[in-house]
Amino acid sequence: MTALIKRAFALTLDIWFVLRKPSVHFSLGFLTIGGFVGGVMFWGAFNTALELTNTETFCISCHEMRDNVYEELKTTIHFTNRSGVRATCPDCHVPHKWTDKIARKMQASKEVWGKIFGTINTRDKFLEKRRELAGHEWARLKANDSLECRNCHNFEYMDFTKQNTRAAKAHSTYLASGEKTCIDCHKGIAHRLPNMEGVPGWDATSLSPDDEDASTRIRRVGEALRSMDGLTQAAAE
Amino acid sequence: MAQLTRRQVLKAKAAAIAASVAGIPVAEAANGIIPGDEARLTWSKAPCRFCGTGCGVMVAVRDNRVVATHGDINAEVNRGLNCVKGYFLSKIMYGADRLTQPLLRMKDGKYAKDGEFAPVTWDRAFDEMAAQWKRVLKEKGPTAVGMFGSGQWTVWEGYAGLKLMKAGFRSNNLDPNARHCMASAAVGFMRTFGMDEPMGCYDDIEATDAFVLWGSNMAEMHPILWTRVADRRLSNPHVKVCVMSTFEHRSFDLADIPIVFTPQSDLAILNFIAHHIISTGRVNRAFVDQHANFKRGAVDIGYGLRPDNPLETAAKNATNANDSTPMTFDEFAAFVADYTLEKTAEMSGVSPERLTALAELYADPATKVVSFWTMGFNQHTRGVWCNNMIYNIHLLTGKIAEPGNSPFSLTGQPSACGTAREVGTFSHRLPADMVVTNPEHRKHAEEIWQIPEGTIPEKPGYHAVQQNRMLKDGKLNAYWVQVNNNMQAGPNMNQEGWPGYRNPDNFITVSDPYPTVTTLAADLILPTAMWVEKEGAYGNAERRTHFWHQLVSAPGDARSDLWQLMEFSKRFTTDEVWAPETLAAHPEFKGKTLFDVLFANGKVNKFPVSDIEKGYSNYESEYFGFYVQKGLFEEYASFGRGHGHDLAPFDTYHQVRGLRWPVVDGKETRWRYREGYDPYVAAGSGLQFYGNKDKKAIIFALPYEAPAESPDDEYDMWLSTGRVLEHWHSGSMTRRVPELNRAVPNALCFMHPDDAKKRNLRRGDEVRVISRRGEIRVRVETRGRNRPPIGLVFVPWFDEGRLINKVTLDATDPISKQTDFKKCAVKIEKVA
Amino acid sequence: MREKFGLKLGLGAIALVLGFISLSYAQEVTDLRGAVPPTEEVAPPPIYNEINDDKRRARNYPEQPPVIPHNIRDYPITLNANRCLTCHTREFTAESLAPMISITHFMDRDGQVLAGVTPRRFFCTQCHVTQADAPDLVESTFMPIEKIIQQEKQGGSGEQTP
Repeated sequence: MTALIKRAFALTLDIWFVLRKPSVHFSLGFLTIGGFVGGVMFWGAFNTALELTNTETFCISCHEMRDNVYEELKTTIHFTNRSGVRATCPDCHVPHKWTDKIARKMQASKEVWGKIFGTINTRDKFLEKRRELAGHEWARLKANDSLECRNCHNFEYMDFTKQNTRAAKAHSTYLASGEKTCIDCHKGIAHRLPNMEGVPGWDATSLSPDDEDASTRIRRVGEALRSMDGLTQAAAE
Repeated sequence: MAQLTRRQVLKAKAAAIAASVAGIPVAEAANGIIPGDEARLTWSKAPCRFCGTGCGVMVAVRDNRVVATHGDINAEVNRGLNCVKGYFLSKIMYGADRLTQPLLRMKDGKYAKDGEFAPVTWDRAFDEMAAQWKRVLKEKGPTAVGMFGSGQWTVWEGYAGLKLMKAGFRSNNLDPNARHCMASAAVGFMRTFGMDEPMGCYDDIEATDAFVLWGSNMAEMHPILWTRVADRRLSNPHVKVCVMSTFEHRSFDLADIPIVFTPQSDLAILNFIAHHIISTGRVNRAFVDQHANFKRGAVDIGYGLRPDNPLETAAKNATNANDSTPMTFDEFAAFVADYTLEKTAEMSGVSPERLTALAELYADPATKVVSFWTMGFNQHTRGVWCNNMIYNIHLLTGKIAEPGNSPFSLTGQPSACGTAREVGTFSHRLPADMVVTNPEHRKHAEEIWQIPEGTIPEKPGYHAVQQNRMLKDGKLNAYWVQVNNNMQAGPNMNQEGWPGYRNPDNFITVSDPYPTVTTLAADLILPTAMWVEKEGAYGNAERRTHFWHQLVSAPGDARSDLWQLMEFSKRFTTDEVWAPETLAAHPEFKGKTLFDVLFANGKVNKFPVSDIEKGYSNYESEYFGFYVQKGLFEEYASFGRGHGHDLAPFDTYHQVRGLRWPVVDGKETRWRYREGYDPYVAAGSGLQFYGNKDKKAIIFALPYEAPAESPDDEYDMWLSTGRVLEHWHSGSMTRRVPELNRAVPNALCFMHPDDAKKRNLRRGDEVRVISRRGEIRVRVETRGRNRPPIGLVFVPWFDEGRLINKVTLDATDPISKQTDFKKCAVKIEKVA
Repeated sequence: MREKFGLKLGLGAIALVLGFISLSYAQEVTDLRGAVPPTEEVAPPPIYNEINDDKRRARNYPEQPPVIPHNIRDYPITLNANRCLTCHTREFTAESLAPMISITHFMDRDGQVLAGVTPRRFFCTQCHVTQADAPDLVESTFMPIEKIIQQEKQGGSGEQTP
């Protein structure tokens, strides 16, 4: 392994020595303008490719995606609902910010690796891997405060009177305080779930250690609810 | 119909006025406590009214009304649990449109086939009905009268119906709706073991390592057994559950091995498993040598359609479908060797990995396995084969008739076993597994019934589907339907059922508590007492016989089916229904009514009304002057006692939460055929399949054969029908419970989202589901509890507003005569 | 009954005039198809929505499983996960403020109370069902016990006789 790294380093150095020599055949102007044009072309192609791979059509061109996660998505509320606004794969799974996007793409290349080497090429293999794969997404969304959820579901603009009482309560307390983020409560809304053993909020025996004790929570939630009494009344009507 | 009776309305009004005048509060006790005796409810046990699971419930009565029900904690089957239907039993008798008086089609004060229903007295109703039956008997003889009964009949109702038809009217045209439900299972048992009904019991659930569901959605159809399966699976992580169906349903939620297979390919999968067991050297040779024979079944047996159907004329063995010839183990091994993993995967559309995982549950000697099946197997044009073939697998491995190893046929109805099968209310059967075609069996029955030899006809009568065809053809003209809704439940309603009932030559009587599609297709409607409005007995899927008392009285003039059968028998004398030569040889019967001969025969009327347990009413016994149910039961039980079908004494059953027969020396039998559990097995033999003379079971070589109808270019989708958790069968009881109605208000057409998209459809769109026989209008559902694969739609049949059986095909298993409600070809068109 | 009968005869006459029934259809009785003969097909009712108001409904008797007053679309109850329990199990109710599942749901077949929810009660929807905003097909004359006691106090009885 170390030998391999050493050789790669040596090769990189060789290339650098060639590149750092001044040009003997082309003018500086040509190089500057040509470099700029070339750069733009490369950049354009790179981004076009990026955007192409950023479509649902691309995602489900692999049968692993089409037959598993996409098939499951079809009956859920993120696919078909009252207003017809639907989420495509990249809406939830590819960050909108460029740097995040690149980072996610690099991670996704692992899934492509998975495709090429057949680690999820049958339904059963996929199901076996599902906890791990879902775990990555939960961790990512937890870490970025459910960024992709919030691209559409912006807390600022939620009308609690249009939510049912339960939702209004939860959003106006836990979500408002930042104590919880979307993914904490909304796992498995677009795809079927893996075994949830040990997942906080699903498995009572694995409450995370920083959870406050029940009496504190009841008092705090009670206060929050009293302050929004009028609101829930309106929601109920 | 009136929502409340007039008296009730007046009474309620008076009460309301009195209360408002007096200013008294609704509940008197200011502290919220109902004091002393005022709080007392009378609780009694009963089995649930619905499925074949046979849960025990406790029923609370106050002022002659049921006010509450809950799961009986002392009932072994369910230990305090009920499903949502069971928890709402309290409300099933209280639909505002209960039928409370007979209704006859009349015009100008007389019966008329095209008349309108008008209320009549019981006397007038039975006068007309008897006149019609006598006319038909005189014109055409006993083969032109018939009855369609039910696996929801109580034991004695079925027994009284059987006696009345086969001994009284001398007609074998008696069949139960159980024909639609488990005829294939019953015939499968008879073919393999020579004796009907499962060898195991529900205790297998807590003893096994693996469950395989073959065409059974237990989560919805046997919810309380499903709680026991779930308990076993979730408490014991080593336990595996394999769920097999032609579409994904709720039972898949518990599946470790989910399998959606191409319709009909279950036949191939069954043979593949047998092949897998043999090819991997896991046959239990000692068991097979000692306990099994091999036979090759007749093939190319047709589809039970009308004889002039091209499919029938083309079939080689349509008339001798039940034939078989002996073969050896090696020949059997060669026969199933055709069903390789690759070929089976190809035929079934199931991955080789999952097929192997399934086969291993059976093949692995260390895994105990329970197979459950219901309508996916039984409602199948090769349903008997499926039953035989699952036994093949259990027999090859010796995984049978011991705790945790059990091929277990579940039944749909509360007394499909107890009444339809054990009493034998089929067109070919008599009690205790006897058949009309066997002269010794007929003679034995005639002896017990104390009627002249030769009374019972030897030719089997019309089975369920045949009855509708014969009604249509005008060969069956006087017809009585009890405890079922066959216009909604029977196949191919447009071409057979409806034209049959409305054929002007026919007089149709339907007994029911509520107005249904079938009652309204009748000429005479008889209002019927239901469930705890009468004393009853049911027998569930694990051979458990379970009794209940009459707890409330029936509304108005509604009377139990038993009362109706017995009272009607008074209107016929032997001279009108038996052959003159029989009466000449047995003059003691001359001039007697059928009631005298069949029910006041010294046996049935042996027990006095005073034998009835104190505190309980019994309308029929008070009316006829003897303990009717006890007399009928004891006479019936004499058929099976000493013959492997022993039932306990009548009074015992009122004290216990059911007992599993054979009950010998007061002890029930949990595992039949196994020494140590079953008293009929000879000591030292270990195991005996004593239903067959050589005490061996039969392993049948049977192939894959194509279904009767498959999708093609025009009719491009499979249609499967079925039930839902929240409604019982045709919904005539459960849709009248507001909470259950709101839980599942209407039948929908479940469809894959891609199939919907292809037809430019979306959820909620109205479509026509069209077959070669008929069509219905229904709305599309693309999500929810059922997830069909591309190419298949599922439409439940509980909804009276959407009669899916206009669309289904009346193809049956040629051996069991049970309809395949799970496979026919349809097309889906959008209603613009 | 009699008054209704006259009215229904009248309706029947109208139906005959409309002439949409080949078989003269029963006027005294109707099934759950209403006035539609079995041989006719009419537009099915819409797919009704689940009631989602979170308001508790009184039970008909104490043993009745409460109905679910909210939408449960996409709520998994599978070998892997049970969405209902994420709010209704004891440990999570402080946070969710949802009603706790009853004590019976912790008992095994022998009535022993377990550390958690009993597996035999795992599939919530076997007993608990949502309610659609569909109209009743037939009125129910079921009387809860308090109604019967009220009647007793008025000197009547609940007996159902015409």
